[in-house]
Amino acid sequence: MLAVKELLGSKLKFGLIALAIGLIVSLTFIMAAMSEGLVTGMTGAKGLLAADALVFQGDTFLALERSRLSSEDLAVIADAEGVTSSYGVGHAFISVDSADEPFDARAFGLQDRFDQLPVVEGVGVPGPDEAVVDVTAKESGIELGDTLHLTPIDEELTVVGFTEDRRYIMTPAVFVDLPTWERIYVATALGRMAEQSGGQAPDVDRMAEQVADGSSIAAVELEPGTTVADLTDTLAPDYDVVTPAEAALAGNGMPVMILAVNGIQAVSLVISALVIGVFFYITTLHKTGQIAAIKALGASNGFVYRQLLFQITVLVTIASAIGIAITLAAGASMPPTMAFDPQPERWAMALVAIFAMAYLGSLFSLRSILIIDPATALDRGEH
Amino acid sequence: MSLLEVAGVSKTYGSGHARVTALDDVTFDLDTGRLLAVLGPSGSGKTTLLSIIAGLLEPSEGEIRIGGTPIHLRSSREAAAFRRAHVGLVFQEYHLIPYLTAEENLLLVPHLDGRVGREDRERASSLLGEFGLAGRMRHKPSALSGGERQRVAIARALMNDPEIMLVDEPTAHLDTDRGRQVVDLLRSHIRGRDMTCVMVTHDARMAKEADQVVRLLDGRLATA
Repeated sequence: MLAVKELLGSKLKFGLIALAIGLIVSLTFIMAAMSEGLVTGMTGAKGLLAADALVFQGDTFLALERSRLSSEDLAVIADAEGVTSSYGVGHAFISVDSADEPFDARAFGLQDRFDQLPVVEGVGVPGPDEAVVDVTAKESGIELGDTLHLTPIDEELTVVGFTEDRRYIMTPAVFVDLPTWERIYVATALGRMAEQSGGQAPDVDRMAEQVADGSSIAAVELEPGTTVADLTDTLAPDYDVVTPAEAALAGNGMPVMILAVNGIQAVSLVISALVIGVFFYITTLHKTGQIAAIKALGASNGFVYRQLLFQITVLVTIASAIGIAITLAAGASMPPTMAFDPQPERWAMALVAIFAMAYLGSLFSLRSILIIDPATALDRGEH
Repeated sequence: MSLLEVAGVSKTYGSGHARVTALDDVTFDLDTGRLLAVLGPSGSGKTTLLSIIAGLLEPSEGEIRIGGTPIHLRSSREAAAFRRAHVGLVFQEYHLIPYLTAEENLLLVPHLDGRVGREDRERASSLLGEFGLAGRMRHKPSALSGGERQRVAIARALMNDPEIMLVDEPTAHLDTDRGRQVVDLLRSHIRGRDMTCVMVTHDARMAKEADQVVRLLDGRLATA
């Protein structure tokens, strides 16, 4: 009764406290979403591949850009013990000459499993010379049905669908079928080789033959009971095997970036916890006389502390709702290219941490509650 | 039979040269149904004595018994439970909870015991009616006059039907007439309920209204 009445009796005070904590919560959530957005933007197309494990060419340091698997390699991987299914995934650098402004992108060729792409608009399965593009490409003026002109290789793709959360190194992923990817890959590789050989045309047929029916990496499903470590043992040393999540965090400076991102989130959480703890500590200090009187009337320390815990629970719950609303509103107002990826699991973890820190911070208040002498309710400085 | 027995109670603070004696060998008894005024100037030890009787402070020496039960040997938790059950406290500053109405301030007492039933609501309503506050039940302390707050504080002290009421300077913030009314109110309720009351005051005129007077001077009982 007491805690509720106090909350209701001082709506403005506690409303402002809830708003302040809500802003802190939103700061924590926005930081988390931006951090996740960075990670997703850097690795989404790779890390979200539907597979138990990704198999790279050996000694390529899990770099999608370096790995090459031939059709023979794909066959070895598909036949490996413990593998139930596999499909090739190709990667190539591309530049798109769009209506608005040229932009860089990454072509991803899928041999199978287009059903893994969440469809935002259009269809999710491209045919030959068709592409399903990450929705962030819309920021560059790409619309459904547009023709993507790939420069300088002079290839064209028709956009038949948009997907989401599929970017790589902050550029939109362009999903095509594997034969289309092969053509793009050979064309871009030939372009590079031509540059290196002073404009002399390399052996196109020989190169196309090498790439035929191959890919950059293989995505595999494992039999129940088979682990990534088991497959690593089976395929070593010619191939490196990791989970998609591990692959996502490898290369391109990701380990350092993840460290920085986690540091940012940890610091924002710690600051939030301290601020929330201080808020409740100050409100307790302001009530010293009142608490002394209640204790003099016969209230136990436990009774007073329970009131505080109840208020913390109510206020942090309201503040969390405010924080989530602010974060969602902020997210809705951001362009899709903005690194902003709200992850419910991350938010849940942040919420748990905020509640835990608020309760932990309340221990400062508990200490002050314990040392409030009920005799001070009577004492006016005389003995 | 004496309801309150104060025997050889002393209270000292600090040690060595910093040692301060707040109470020195105070002894008196108080029978059931009587109003005792503890009279003395500021700093004479009145509040210390009241705090010791309430079990809020431990005496350095001596014994306090209420209804034969020693108060001074209890832990703070036991003393708090004893206060909830047997003691009514009225603070000089009232200490009404500002966000609770007059009625809710009274219901705080059973709430501390973990129970607020219909009987408690009826009792709160009845007490506020007796104190002429029937129309002010839903008012918060900020909407009450000083005299009304004082009466709410006294009604709150009566909520648990205490054996003993401890009242700190009940007339400090009131003019003479209103102060006398409060003391009359206290006396009538004490007699009507077979209750005992210790009232601390520095006002000799109010002390005259009591059945028994104990004078404190520099922590000691003053003779006449």
